[in-house]
Amino acid sequence: MGHAIAGIAGQAQETGVDFALIGHQESWRAAADVVRVLRGPGRAPVPDEDIREIFPWIPPRAVCRVEVSSTTGAKARGLYIDSFIPPDRLDGAYLYDNIGCVRAAAACAINASAGIVSLGGFSSILIEGNFDLLPERRTTVFTTGNTLTVGFIVQGIRKMCAQEGRDLCRSTLLIVGATGDVGSGCARCLAPFVRRTILCARNCGRLCALAAELEADGANTEIATSLEQLPLRADIVICAASLPSPSLLLGRISPEGVICDAGYPKNLHPNSDMPGARIFFGGLGQITSGLSFTPDFSGILNRHPFPDVAHGCLLEGMALALEQRFEPFSQGRGSITPEHVKAMEAIAARHGIHLAPLYNAEGPLEGAVGTPPQPESVGCKRSRAPNENDDRKFGAPGSVPGDWPAIAEA
Amino acid sequence: METIVALNCSEPAACPSPNASIWQDILAQAVTGELMAAMNYTALSTICDDPEEVAEALEHAQGEHGHAAAFAAEGRKLGVDVPSNINAKYWKRIREAFMRCIAEHDFIACLIIQEIMLESFAVASYTRVGKAGPGSLGATFAAIAAEEQEHIGHALDILRAERAKDPQRFDDKVYRLHLDVMTTLTEMVAKECRHGQCDLCHSSCVKPSLSEVGLTTVELRGASLQHYLKSLDALGLPGEVTLQWVMQLPV
Repeated sequence: MGHAIAGIAGQAQETGVDFALIGHQESWRAAADVVRVLRGPGRAPVPDEDIREIFPWIPPRAVCRVEVSSTTGAKARGLYIDSFIPPDRLDGAYLYDNIGCVRAAAACAINASAGIVSLGGFSSILIEGNFDLLPERRTTVFTTGNTLTVGFIVQGIRKMCAQEGRDLCRSTLLIVGATGDVGSGCARCLAPFVRRTILCARNCGRLCALAAELEADGANTEIATSLEQLPLRADIVICAASLPSPSLLLGRISPEGVICDAGYPKNLHPNSDMPGARIFFGGLGQITSGLSFTPDFSGILNRHPFPDVAHGCLLEGMALALEQRFEPFSQGRGSITPEHVKAMEAIAARHGIHLAPLYNAEGPLEGAVGTPPQPESVGCKRSRAPNENDDRKFGAPGSVPGDWPAIAEA
Repeated sequence: METIVALNCSEPAACPSPNASIWQDILAQAVTGELMAAMNYTALSTICDDPEEVAEALEHAQGEHGHAAAFAAEGRKLGVDVPSNINAKYWKRIREAFMRCIAEHDFIACLIIQEIMLESFAVASYTRVGKAGPGSLGATFAAIAAEEQEHIGHALDILRAERAKDPQRFDDKVYRLHLDVMTTLTEMVAKECRHGQCDLCHSSCVKPSLSEVGLTTVELRGASLQHYLKSLDALGLPGEVTLQWVMQLPV
């Protein structure tokens, strides 16, 4: 046993990894599974109560090594670093503690000389507009990973609409958390292709600015600052709010609406009463050439019914590492454009990273093999086409996280 | 309970403070830990080759003895006599582990046990007690925590240099000592003493009563293991490996 662990220690002394993924557990069940794997076989399980007591004390650190393979034959080596933010401490009351956790996790990535770091889940929300909060970075660069998340959400919406025979251009799209980085990116990608877009978020000023931007491009938009005030019934919904727990209850939705829950933690309340709705978990991709963890956290860190599936935000860092493009592709808030998304999707696709098969809490909604994405294959376009030669914009100014809304935007 | 090492204690004050019996048991652990540290440094001086190292070890021993005396004095202020017992169940096991390293003339292993493992627990738990303890009692714990932290800083330099020579061998050694010593230390700060009394509490186990003075075993254990992990990080051991080590300790 000691020898085996010492062996891992030897590996860990190799300097420099291609990428690091910073994340946190979205439930106590997931946290318990992480502890179980770390304890290894043959040891008494840690009672749930003890896990809740131990977890908040664990300093942010690498949990395992990750290796990802490309269809080109390239491989990239990385680390999964957990910030050990307790799953029940994601709300604003713990904001500064949690920023401290993300900073410490970022320091781990920097100390490991990671080429690129993806910020998963709340890590990116805590930092996205405040990259100056991160420790001195030396050669390590950070990406929120939100561009690929947006790409997979949009692909998922298109795929689900195609499966369900829905006509995107006749649909009303509701985006909850519309002014966040992910929400606004989805709005820019989809608003030109739908009949009408309802943007829902708490900050009226940001909503108006986003609506004006979309309308200038020919989109038809409405805004709402709460779900109780929706002006229209939505046929398609993207839930991209940064909620500390699944608590969203949707109101004016078509009985057979298509709903993408792209939150981490999930947005939708588990008791949402939408019997006819087609709900799927969005923003997920699948690596076709393999993803491995040492120690083996397969199915623990990526808790999906299909193999080698991960959140788009994490996959973005892996894709950039495979591409040897160590650059802060996604930074700031509200700067994701269709052109960025298209460029990121192309990078991911070159390495065999595609939209994951769709599923929801009840299980898979399709077979195990993901269909390679066909962007813009469904729906009709309402405004100018994305121009992949447009200049990329990085590091747009973001918000100060001290202003923590009850429904933040992912 | 027998006092193993005399501390020039004067008579206890006449009127014990409220919660004095709880503080008495907490102080008994602290005094015993400090006395054991003093004995460990004295033993360490016997295997040092360099006269400067010998002098330094003896100086540390004296400092730890002073800490024990300071804790005992705080007990007297509360009106209680603070016992010590380095043969108490857990402390004895730790002492034996340390003395095995002395027998092997393994200076580095001794430093790892004393400065990384024991001092991590001392600094983290004293800091917590320092915040919860009233008046001079809290101040004494906080001040000693700060002094112990300085020890760690000095030892880290020596240990980092040693690790740089052969990281694999160094990490193997730390792991071996971890299994030996940290298992005992975590049992000591577990929520319950499942294997019977610790031989230091003056009546029943003090752990269930800690909340009455603003402390919990959860907090003491959590803070101590967190400090230990950070000390190992500072030595350069891989975080994913040390996390496994700690998660595999008894709960």
